[in-house]
Amino acid sequence: MSEQRDGSPVLVTERPATGTARPYVFPPVVRQTVAGGNVVAAHLPGHNLAVAVLLLEAGAGREPLGREGLSGVVAKALEEGTTRRDSTAYALALEGLGTGLAISADWDVFQVSVQVPVDRLPAAVELLAEAVRTPRLDPADVIRVRDDEVTALRMYWANPGPRADAALRADLFGADQRVGRPLDGDPESVAAVTLDDVTGFHADWLTRPGTLLVVGDLDRIDLDALATTAFAGTSAVAEPAGGILPVQAPGERRIILVDRPGSVQSTLRLGHVAPHRAHPDYVPMTLAATVLGGAFTSRLNHLIREVRGYTYGIRAEFGHSRRFGRFVVSSGVQTAVTAPALVDAVGEINRTRDGGVTESELAVARAWRAGQLSVELQAPRAIANALATLVVHDLPDDYHATLREQFLSAAEPEVSAAAAAHLHPQGLTLVVEGDAAVIRDELAATGLGEVVDATGVVTGPA
Amino acid sequence: MPETGYPWPIETTRLDNGLRVVVSEDRSAPVVAVNLWYDVGSRHEPNGQTGFAHLFEHLMFEGSVNVAKTEHMQLVQGSGGSLNATTNPDRTNYFETLPSEHLALALWLEADRMGGLVPALTQETLDNQREVVKNERRQRYENVPYGDAWLRLLPLLYPPGHPYHHATIGSMADLNAADLATFQAFHTTYYAPNNAVLTVVGDASPGEVFALAERYFGGLAPRPDIPAAPDGLVVPATGVPNRETVTADVPAPRVYLAHRTQPFGGSAYDTVTVLATLLGSGRGSRLYQRLADGARLAQPDSVSAFGVDLAYGPAPLIVTATARDGVPAEQLEAGLADVLTEVADGVTDAELDRAKALLTTAWWRQLASVDGRADILGRHTTQLGDPGRAGDRLPAWLAVTADQVTRLAAELLHPDDRVTLTYLPEKEVAA
Repeated sequence: MSEQRDGSPVLVTERPATGTARPYVFPPVVRQTVAGGNVVAAHLPGHNLAVAVLLLEAGAGREPLGREGLSGVVAKALEEGTTRRDSTAYALALEGLGTGLAISADWDVFQVSVQVPVDRLPAAVELLAEAVRTPRLDPADVIRVRDDEVTALRMYWANPGPRADAALRADLFGADQRVGRPLDGDPESVAAVTLDDVTGFHADWLTRPGTLLVVGDLDRIDLDALATTAFAGTSAVAEPAGGILPVQAPGERRIILVDRPGSVQSTLRLGHVAPHRAHPDYVPMTLAATVLGGAFTSRLNHLIREVRGYTYGIRAEFGHSRRFGRFVVSSGVQTAVTAPALVDAVGEINRTRDGGVTESELAVARAWRAGQLSVELQAPRAIANALATLVVHDLPDDYHATLREQFLSAAEPEVSAAAAAHLHPQGLTLVVEGDAAVIRDELAATGLGEVVDATGVVTGPA
Repeated sequence: MPETGYPWPIETTRLDNGLRVVVSEDRSAPVVAVNLWYDVGSRHEPNGQTGFAHLFEHLMFEGSVNVAKTEHMQLVQGSGGSLNATTNPDRTNYFETLPSEHLALALWLEADRMGGLVPALTQETLDNQREVVKNERRQRYENVPYGDAWLRLLPLLYPPGHPYHHATIGSMADLNAADLATFQAFHTTYYAPNNAVLTVVGDASPGEVFALAERYFGGLAPRPDIPAAPDGLVVPATGVPNRETVTADVPAPRVYLAHRTQPFGGSAYDTVTVLATLLGSGRGSRLYQRLADGARLAQPDSVSAFGVDLAYGPAPLIVTATARDGVPAEQLEAGLADVLTEVADGVTDAELDRAKALLTTAWWRQLASVDGRADILGRHTTQLGDPGRAGDRLPAWLAVTADQVTRLAAELLHPDDRVTLTYLPEKEVAA
């Protein structure tokens, strides 16, 4: 329906109705066992690119205490040449196919991947396996990449954020626990890594077959041949990852101050411990966090960005791994409004815990989470990440379709109950990384909790 | 060599009001990408109004005649969609990807803010988004080490009065001075159907999209006299190197070398793209081999080379590296300069093939999603006049010869016409 206003353009005033939905279908999943390892593949007909990922049970959770970041050093060392060729020859061979090695480690697994036009996939997987299974690990190279990693981490830790996150993690899980230390380690822990640590980690965890994920036009890919290449020469089987870590009830809310003199913004990391990924409340918890801080129109972003103008953005989420989880709110706010922003943020978490979510907010959260599954799961790399989720959390092939239905059918009482059960505003650790001399007194005056310095020293108003 | 870098159908039309509509159908997923390129960026901003094009982009999410404040985001996300917008010196783009049953909603929302923003724009909204943008500036440029490098490189590369002289984020002073009437005029001037390209890619037919475009955008009036940005196509070589040294709270010395090259879209710039990849992408690149692996002057993760794809002036080619412990900035700069100088002495076919293989993968990655395709088509329509030119890009990269690379390097990478930006730590870093 159109209407003409004097002097203004013709706009259609009536919002259009929704058309007929076509169902999203996750690509067909193929599972095979070949040469002692598992293959999980997804068929994307017509795509020019293919992705292969070797997924190994060698996440940061395997690192010994005091050696946090070891897996990152191992990752870099894999690219320093193989028993067959030196590092330059290796780089030229792989990049000549159009890919580098993408290597990442999270708490659970270590992943090495290549992405190339489909006809180059066999050669790329051969080179991937060569680096993972037969790295040269020359002592001088290992020590050099270790030192380079220390420097790289020192560069990274000069940014706002890593120190705040480390302070939060240590407070939630204890600095004497692996999960209470930074995922990627810090400059000191990486500096402590030895040659034996690296060769030992490789021998213990990178010589097991693992799982090969393949995404692409499977009509043009020989999975058996790829798997035979990827699993050649492997021996031991995977060890279990370990049980769920006990979730300890959060203590009393307090503010931890990380000094960043002269900072024009304060970096906020507010959090508490939360359940692991396989917890039965995963869907309602995710929806509750979406209403609170997971989407642009969420409560936190609306109030603190769109109403107050304190920040460029603020978000809240539950992060889950196999063995543990945490709830975290992240933002950067202008220094002068640090205290009111913190009060507002805690207020919204309180409100969500106490009052739950509304039906209209939940409608947005449901549709968004479900719709994102189809919007995000297009490219081979994204499908490979989805396959990794299936493997890491032992989920069935139809998991993503099921998850969509669960999101769409979650009822308000269930989501509000999850907010009440899994948000603990009274037990939050409120980490603020900013100009302590400017913000300390205001933080103390909020009454949100005792203010302590990141070193653990209690300080009162100056 | 592939016949085309864009093996999907492309259909176009132009509405009577000048809006160009581009459709590329692909039914493989029930998802559709909607993308609008407006031919206005920070190059159009006069003195004293830096940052206005970008601040305006924020205002476009704050409601229009038939869409209440905050409703735009809520309706798109509440339909399962992703959305965002970006502003650069050349243009402003707005885009959403959503389940295809919501295509009409997306087009209605875009039309409403193209044709009906001004009556809904309030002082309160402007004041709020001004603060958000100032926080964006703090977060992205001021509060991170080396974060202001781009802000410093632009005025070194482009003289005062050149449309690329100032950065898109703008200055705090100009943002503070922004008044409502200026923004109302900005919309009236530039947000017209004949200054935009609407691209839809994915689960929709051209006929369906053309009909919806006519329905929602067809009644909007064109603007006959859209002012052009200042002409910046040619910047004469100065013959004088330009340099700046910044002492700041950074963890290690870092050096940027930058050159003005050629505008995005021409064959010379395709050569720049190949050259940048050859120089700076991957462990087999010249910079990595020479500075990180070889002479060990640079931190391995820090070396890079890239062209910034700007279309209305000589686009910059930037190479950068951060010093290893104990390496002085002068030594790192000399190493970087040597690498640039040596390109003019020749490159090997193997180096060229490596760069082309990496670019091939990068191209297909960009096109693997409907949103990536929509942005590429919108760019080629807006800047080169024809979405079909997108199909030329990959073949053009693959056709670049070693001779073209060395000749371009000899012409454009001369030290007399170089910009050098150096960061030095305030205090000595413990080795």
